[in-house]
Amino acid sequence: MSTVQNSPHATGNSFVHRLSPLTKLTFAVTVTVCAFAVVDYRWPLLLFCALLLPAAIGAKVVRRFLLMLATFWVPVAAILFVIQGFFFPEAHDVIARFGPLELKSEGVAYALLTALHILVLMGGFFLLLLTTHAATLMSALSERNVSPSLIYIVSAALQIVPTLSRRATRILHAQQARGQVIHGLRGRARALVPLVGPLILGAFTDVGERAAAMETRGFGATRRPTSLITVPDSAVQRSARVAMMLCAVAAVTVNVWGVMR
Amino acid sequence: MAGFSRSMPSWLDERWRIGWGTGVVLVTYAGLIAVRPASEHGVGGPIALLALVGYTLGALLIVSGAVARLPATTVALLPVAITVNIVMGKIVYFSGLPLQLDSIGTVLVGVVAGPAAGAATGALASVIVGMTITPGALPYAVTAAMIGFTAGMLARAGLFRRLPTAVLAGGLIGVVAGVISAPITAFVFGNASGSVGQSALIATFQAFGNGMLKAATLQGLVADPLDKALTVVLAMAILKGLPPGFLHRFPFVRDRHVLAPRPDLVRAG
Repeated sequence: MSTVQNSPHATGNSFVHRLSPLTKLTFAVTVTVCAFAVVDYRWPLLLFCALLLPAAIGAKVVRRFLLMLATFWVPVAAILFVIQGFFFPEAHDVIARFGPLELKSEGVAYALLTALHILVLMGGFFLLLLTTHAATLMSALSERNVSPSLIYIVSAALQIVPTLSRRATRILHAQQARGQVIHGLRGRARALVPLVGPLILGAFTDVGERAAAMETRGFGATRRPTSLITVPDSAVQRSARVAMMLCAVAAVTVNVWGVMR
Repeated sequence: MAGFSRSMPSWLDERWRIGWGTGVVLVTYAGLIAVRPASEHGVGGPIALLALVGYTLGALLIVSGAVARLPATTVALLPVAITVNIVMGKIVYFSGLPLQLDSIGTVLVGVVAGPAAGAATGALASVIVGMTITPGALPYAVTAAMIGFTAGMLARAGLFRRLPTAVLAGGLIGVVAGVISAPITAFVFGNASGSVGQSALIATFQAFGNGMLKAATLQGLVADPLDKALTVVLAMAILKGLPPGFLHRFPFVRDRHVLAPRPDLVRAG
C-alpha cells in the first residue's frame, strides 16, 4: 500500500536536484529517443556510461539508482536473454546447445541491443524520479499551461494512498474492537474481505464531498490561476532544453525516413 | 478550463484532440503492421522508436483532449480510481497470480463517466506508476487509455446493464488491450515485459515459429480477455456497492441509462 507514499522522493541538494524538473524530463525523453535511434549495442551503452551514470554519481543517488535498476531492469533483461536467445524467429547461427534448446547468435545480439535500450529508458526516468519531487514537476508543468484538472488528478492520486492506508488502519482497529481475531495466514486472507469493501467504497463516496468543496473554491473557473510555488529556471536550461528537443526530433525524423525508405 | 484554448485553432480543440490522438495511435499500429519488423533496417531500434513516439504522441493528445472537458465530480473521481488501479495491481502482482487486474478503476470510470474520462484514467494511472514505481509502465499508457475508452463506448451501447453482457464487454476490452499493447511488448521490450508466466507463453508461441509481433499478439489475445473479464466483474461488484445517489451525480449514468435500474429503488411520484 505504501508504494506510492514511499516512492523515492528527492531529498538531496546536488546540482542535479536543483535543475528545473522540465530539463530533467526533457533529458530523460531525449536520451531514450537517441538510444533507440541507432542499431548498435555500443551506442546505448555509451549513453548510459557517459551520461546517465555520471549524472547519478553527481546527484549522489548512485546507490539507489543501481538498486532500482537491479530490481526492475535485471529481471527484464534476464527474461529477454532467455526468450530471444533460444526462440528468436528465423535465427540459424547456433552457438551452444542445452539439451533440446539451441542458443543462437542472432537472438543474443538482439537481446543485448534491446536490453541496453531498456536500460537507457529506465535509467533516464529513474534519474528523474530520484532527483525530482513529483509535486515540483507538477508545479513546473502548471506554469507551462498544462490543464489544472490534469495537475490536480496526478497530485491528488499521489496523496490519496497515505489517506487510504490511514483509513485501513482505522477500519482494522474498529473491527478488532468488535472482537475480530486475526490468526495466521488464512485469518489474514479472510480479514481482507471486510477490509477492502469499506475501504474502496468509502474512498469513492468521499468523491462527492470533495467535488463540492472544489467547486466552492473556484475549481473549474475559466480564468488562468496563478501558481503558489515558482520553480527556478534559467536561460541556460531553457536553451539546453531546446537543443535536446531538436536532437530528439532529428533522431525521430531520420528514423522515420529510414524505416519508410 | 476551456479558457486556456484561446489561442488554439479549431482543429486542435478538445474533441478533435481525442480524435487526432486515436488516429495517431491507429496509424502507428497500421504502420507497424505494414513495415516488416524483420527487414534489413534492423529489428530493434527504429521500429521500437516508431512505436514509442507514435503511441506517446497519441496518448498525450487523448489525455489533453479528454481532461479538458471533465466536470468537477469526474475530476475528483479520477484520483480515487487511479489509486484503486495501483493498489489492486500491486496486491495481485505480489500474490503471484498470473493476472494483472490493474485496470479496475479505469473500467469503472469508463462505465460511470464515459469514454473520455476512462481514457484519461488509464493513461494517467500509467504515468503515475511510471513516475513512482517503474518507468516500464510509461510505454503502455496508450493501452490503458484504450481500455478506458472501450469500456466507456461499450457502456454507452448498454453492455453493462446485465452481468453476462458485461463479461462479454470485458472480453472485448481484453481483445483491444491485447492487440494495442502487442507492438510495445514485441518491439520495445523484446517480448520480455510482464510476468514470468506471460513471458513463458510468448516464448512458447515463438518456439512454434511465430514472429515476434504475432507471438505477442497471440499472448495478448489469450491472456487479456480473461483478465479483463475478471476486471469487469470486480468493477461491477464495486458499482453494486456504491449508493445510487452517488452514481446519479454523473450525467453519463443518468442520461444514457448505462446501468440496470435498481429494483429496490422506486422513483417517488
